[in-house]
Amino acid sequence: MRIRRSLALALLVVCAFVAPVASQTGTEDEGSEISIVLDGTARSRLRLAVPDPAGLEKLSPEARRAAEEMVDVLRRDLEASGVFIVQGPDQLAVLDLTGDPLTDYLLYESLGNKLLLDADVIEEPGRLVLEGRVFNLASASSVLGKRYRGGFELARRIAHTFADEIVFYFTGRRGVSLTSIAFHSDRGKSGNREIYLMDYDGFNQRAITAHETLSMSPDWSPGSDFIAYVSYLGGAPGLHQVELRSGRKSAILTEGDFNISPAFSPDGKAIAFSRSVGGGNTEVFVCNRDGSNLRRLTNSRGIDTNPAWSPTGREIAFTSNRSGTPQIYVMSAEGSDLRRATSLGRYNDGAAWSPDGTKLAHSARRQDNNFDIAITDLVTLETRYLTESAPGSHESPSYSPDGKKLAYAANLTSRSGTTTQIFTMDLDGGGRRQLTRYGNNFAPSWSGYPKQ
Amino acid sequence: MNRRMSTGWVWTAALVLLAGLAACGPKKEPPPAPMMEMEKEEAPAEEVTPAPTPSPVGDETPAILDGDLMAIQERITRMGLMGDVYFDFDKYELRMDARERLRKNADFMKEYSTLVFGLEGHCDERGTNEYNLALGERRANAAKDYLLSLGVGASSIRTISYGEERPFCTTHDEACWQQNRRGHFVVTGRTDR
Repeated sequence: MRIRRSLALALLVVCAFVAPVASQTGTEDEGSEISIVLDGTARSRLRLAVPDPAGLEKLSPEARRAAEEMVDVLRRDLEASGVFIVQGPDQLAVLDLTGDPLTDYLLYESLGNKLLLDADVIEEPGRLVLEGRVFNLASASSVLGKRYRGGFELARRIAHTFADEIVFYFTGRRGVSLTSIAFHSDRGKSGNREIYLMDYDGFNQRAITAHETLSMSPDWSPGSDFIAYVSYLGGAPGLHQVELRSGRKSAILTEGDFNISPAFSPDGKAIAFSRSVGGGNTEVFVCNRDGSNLRRLTNSRGIDTNPAWSPTGREIAFTSNRSGTPQIYVMSAEGSDLRRATSLGRYNDGAAWSPDGTKLAHSARRQDNNFDIAITDLVTLETRYLTESAPGSHESPSYSPDGKKLAYAANLTSRSGTTTQIFTMDLDGGGRRQLTRYGNNFAPSWSGYPKQ
Repeated sequence: MNRRMSTGWVWTAALVLLAGLAACGPKKEPPPAPMMEMEKEEAPAEEVTPAPTPSPVGDETPAILDGDLMAIQERITRMGLMGDVYFDFDKYELRMDARERLRKNADFMKEYSTLVFGLEGHCDERGTNEYNLALGERRANAAKDYLLSLGVGASSIRTISYGEERPFCTTHDEACWQQNRRGHFVVTGRTDR
């Protein structure tokens, strides 16, 4: 199944072309219009019109469904990127478009748009061709043009790829539309938990384990080709891994009664985890990738658990109750230079490093014993709470690889009861998007960028 | 006068008893023997039958081990022979009621020393999932350590933490949360077969 998928991807022909209009336009002109500081606030976002593509009505029903999905995903990706405010057909319906490009550019601009994404969709037997161009409306020039070709089933993938190209053009950083999120879910057989994967927008959810026991706490390898996780296979919680391409699973460390919370080092050579030593005392350890060469990093009578590597691999954050309540500490990857990172509140756990290494996102218990997602600055030690206004509990934050978003698990109460679901949000707590709906879903882990 | 003296004696006895209880905390250090003697002293010596098996459990002896593990488990559950122990919010220290329960469990485990028990540590949903795994491990081991201090063989117990992943109760209130903060015993094997 996976192999067929890769073959299909290989067929996805991506060819950029330089639009004739763009080649005639001076680069200075584009630059002056578009060089805006993008900090993700609404004020700095670029308004981008994305009307429906021309030629939809000429497509076969199947192609049309795929094309419509493609453009819909493109709009969502661009909006979710935090770079653009997208105007779709609903907002653009007020315009009396003429068909003459220059006149229409003025009309798009009249709604505040700086940019226009003009897409054409052409059907070939069994596949679609998407030609997309981004126009700078002020200069009436094409700044980016791309053509993608692929089977109908690749509509989402094509949209994600194009969206990331557009984000890269305007920000110089890769978009995250092609990334994935691992998590665990009890949606299958009652009481069991399996490891699942989904696209960053919640689509394409599928189980990647079928151990029929508790399997949880997934963590991506740096190349996004393996996932380490905890499973109670054989009775006791141990460290296991699955290679995503082949689906092959193997044990990393099952010796001992209690090995949990695996975290790949950024160079992929080591795994930090926690392990019970004499009398249920959980301590943080590091082992080689194959489970050998165990080194103990912490030594306290309290609980030490849930390690997370800094992006440089030089430090490890973890949770310890050595002071009496669970708090997050940072130490060197050798276990030295211990310092406490969280001081506000009686319970902080689940540290995740921001990709730039300056902050820790974590769960922070509030007065009503629910948890907020918080971000603690490692320099100022100031803590900011992102979900205070939301009811219920929020846990297990995980940064997107561009550091612009967090995935997390939160309670959702409806008429049928309270469940735990996975969401993503922006770093200001806005832009919340629910990704899962079935069963309870926990412990999201956001992948790195896929290999190019 | 006489009354005051006897009150004083009772207090002294109570203190000795408390000291004995404290000494039998989770640490393995103190020998279990004094604890058991204290317990027995509470009952009038003459009324205890000379047979080494305590009467309520002893009467059931032939039946307890009949059948497969599932049948044994069912019987133990029905008769309340290996009751759960409960913990305070965020805590893994053994409460007095937990120690009392564990003393009864220890008597049963020593009586039926061929049975092997899984000792599950559970937590309520109000911690984080990852931290609760470690908390459940700590709870199970606190109970295990106390059982060992009472003379239960180490090979009779295997601890396992489920954190908050296998709750007994799924409503969101204190009654339910207390149910979920528990050490729970399950028969997992026997060494005589």
